[in-house]
Amino acid sequence: MAELRQIAIYGKGGIGKSTTTQNLTAGLVEHGKKVMVVGCDPKADSTRLLLGGLAQKTVLDTIRDEGEDITLDRILKEGYGGTRCVESGGPEPGVGCAGRGIITSINMLESLGAYTDDLDYVFYDVLGDVVCGGFAMPIREGKAKEIYIVASGEMMALYAANNIAKGIQRYAKTGGVRLGGIICNSRNVDHELDLLRAFAKELGTQLIHFVPRNNIVQRAEINKKTVIEYMPESSQADEYRQLAKAIIDNENFVIPTPMSSERLEEILLEYGLMENADDYRI
Amino acid sequence: MAKRINLDMTTVENREMRLGTIIGWDGSAKELIRQSAYDERSIKKHGGCKGAGEGCKLCELQSPLNQETMCSNAIVQCQIGNLTDCVLITHAPIGCDGETPKFNLSMHVGLRRRGKPQQNTLNMSTNLQERDMVFGASEKLRKAILLAKERYNPKAIFIGMACATAIIGEDIDSVAEEMEPEVGVPIVPLHCEGFRSKHWSTGFDVAFHGVLRQIVDKHPKKKQKDLINIVALWGSDWFSAMLKPLGLRVNYLLDCASFEEIRQASEAVATTTFCETLGGYMGAALEDQFGVPQIDAPQPYGIKGTDAWLRAIAKVVGKEKEAEAFIESEHKRIAPKLEEFRKIFAGKQGMVLTGSAYAHGLISVLNELGIKNEGALVFHHDPVYDGAGQNQDTLKELIETYGDIPHYTVSKTRAFQLPQLIKRTKTDFLIIRHPGLASVAGHLGVPTFALGDEHIPVGYDGLLRMGEILIGVLARTKFNQTLKRHVHLPYNEWWFAQDDPFKLTNDKHVFDDIEKKLNKA
Repeated sequence: MAELRQIAIYGKGGIGKSTTTQNLTAGLVEHGKKVMVVGCDPKADSTRLLLGGLAQKTVLDTIRDEGEDITLDRILKEGYGGTRCVESGGPEPGVGCAGRGIITSINMLESLGAYTDDLDYVFYDVLGDVVCGGFAMPIREGKAKEIYIVASGEMMALYAANNIAKGIQRYAKTGGVRLGGIICNSRNVDHELDLLRAFAKELGTQLIHFVPRNNIVQRAEINKKTVIEYMPESSQADEYRQLAKAIIDNENFVIPTPMSSERLEEILLEYGLMENADDYRI
Repeated sequence: MAKRINLDMTTVENREMRLGTIIGWDGSAKELIRQSAYDERSIKKHGGCKGAGEGCKLCELQSPLNQETMCSNAIVQCQIGNLTDCVLITHAPIGCDGETPKFNLSMHVGLRRRGKPQQNTLNMSTNLQERDMVFGASEKLRKAILLAKERYNPKAIFIGMACATAIIGEDIDSVAEEMEPEVGVPIVPLHCEGFRSKHWSTGFDVAFHGVLRQIVDKHPKKKQKDLINIVALWGSDWFSAMLKPLGLRVNYLLDCASFEEIRQASEAVATTTFCETLGGYMGAALEDQFGVPQIDAPQPYGIKGTDAWLRAIAKVVGKEKEAEAFIESEHKRIAPKLEEFRKIFAGKQGMVLTGSAYAHGLISVLNELGIKNEGALVFHHDPVYDGAGQNQDTLKELIETYGDIPHYTVSKTRAFQLPQLIKRTKTDFLIIRHPGLASVAGHLGVPTFALGDEHIPVGYDGLLRMGEILIGVLARTKFNQTLKRHVHLPYNEWWFAQDDPFKLTNDKHVFDDIEKKLNKA
């Protein structure tokens, strides 16, 4: 039996971490993998596509309402293809500590025995930026050993990715956490593929997959489904299958080499100002 | 005149920001005075010479090894927690209240010294758990406030912040404001989280800031012309006897005080203190914001200091003649006994290890008794006080009156430095107010006076009280030397062999050497 791979997905807020994670999960399920997805965002929308809606009570809401003497089935729901779905959740906006909430939730999952031997993958879908220690929880204490950063060719997405790489570098020194690659969730930015490749190379990692922009993703979202479930024959479904395969086969795990802001600006300038072969002007 | 204290915000400005406080320094007292540039800072505090602050940041020794006995939160507990008819709710995990038994004892002792009825502290904790940290704990705080009202019917309720609640941004200001009409008494938020300031004395300022904002009467209907505020801790009431000849009654703030005693602070004729470290903020704020003058004088220690202090108060209340008569008779009264003490202590060395301005007072007393001071340790240094009065530069006053102290050390209760501090001064005894340090020092073979009642050295009688006590302390010399032979402190021979208490700071390679030794071993 293969060792459990615990994977954390990071990236700028709104970049498509949750969408990518769930579509990727659907791809892994097709490969017969047993996957658990742990949403680590107070918004609690990391498992919506797998569960067919926001059907789940979060760990923290459950603890708040029912106390700590709860059973696993109160917080873990089965979703698409037998995936296990958990939402950490968070306090009311503006009070308490969401970061500490993630620590509490993951500890609770562990103590309730959520990490069973039959699992192949656990994904932690973490809120936008690693704003404080709590949001780094999945990559501390030997939990997630693999990180993928979702980014696009947009400047702020790359800034955020570079910052996340700094966080990984910090924990890589003491723990075993490694960067597995950059997933591009395309925004149709000029030269996006080249830019992301160059960016990944500068970080010492790879562009593990380039997911093109396709409106099917939005339609699937409206229907509360992953693309693979909603339109299994579509080209976009294949893209997620390819991403899943790339992650299954991935052996390229590195301690990232984040760059200075100046260097990042240089790369952006280099690719952002290139003449476009298919440039069109209105 | 420019306001030196800003009471608009609920949070106090940290002492290091307001005063330039440092917690690490080693050298002669004279040099520290020079570097402190009190006069320039004083001008700036009084609104003049805006440029004076530039470039006058005091150099500070950083220590890689720190020890600490308390924080601002603990200080608030020992100040606000020791009021007789107000409740302090510490909004924190309950461990932050770990010192409550100690402060409860202080309160009992203090009340007895002041002749007030004995009672326990009115302290509560919101006893925060992990869930409270995650979800926020304001509801728990609201319940605690209602419970405090029901259980104790207090005159005011204070809310003390702690590190945990400060990190999660508990909005104690809003809870206080929202609950006040319902509860019907002042509810005072105190931002005293431990990490906010490098020195616990910021906690004193937080406590005073809270009472100044919400308890002290802003529009006193009358003045009490015979009432003087003494900013104090739990010390015995020896101030009354000293001030009675000037026709004054004493209003002690804050420990063991009642709501009414704090409220009437703005009705008093003046404010003074036994320690500028403690009393500076309250005194300056009462003068700035309530028109109650702060006595601009040396502290009441030793003959010169006590004379000047009494004269400054007498001037404010128009009792100069009475003061002169009292001073003259007191000088005569204590002279013979003082002469005896000076003979007994001739050639003796002493060393004081206490809070900053209080140490200056104590050292004055030792000098008056004929005891030399080669060294002293204070836990922090304020290059200026909030009052910034011309006659309040306590260290300068001390050195100009009694001469320099060659080994003047600023270091925050770092007990590990005691072997070096004692070795280089070859002192015959130590005076310590923080009991944990007293025990360590006692184990080093030097008789140590754990000074509990901080008013013992105050005034003319303070000289006699200290003289009597120190005879007893010196009589224990042999006991402490015997003790030293039989007990072991947790420091290795290498550390005992060092001469520099700041070896870990001053020797850049000290950790390389230690590492080498460890590797060899």
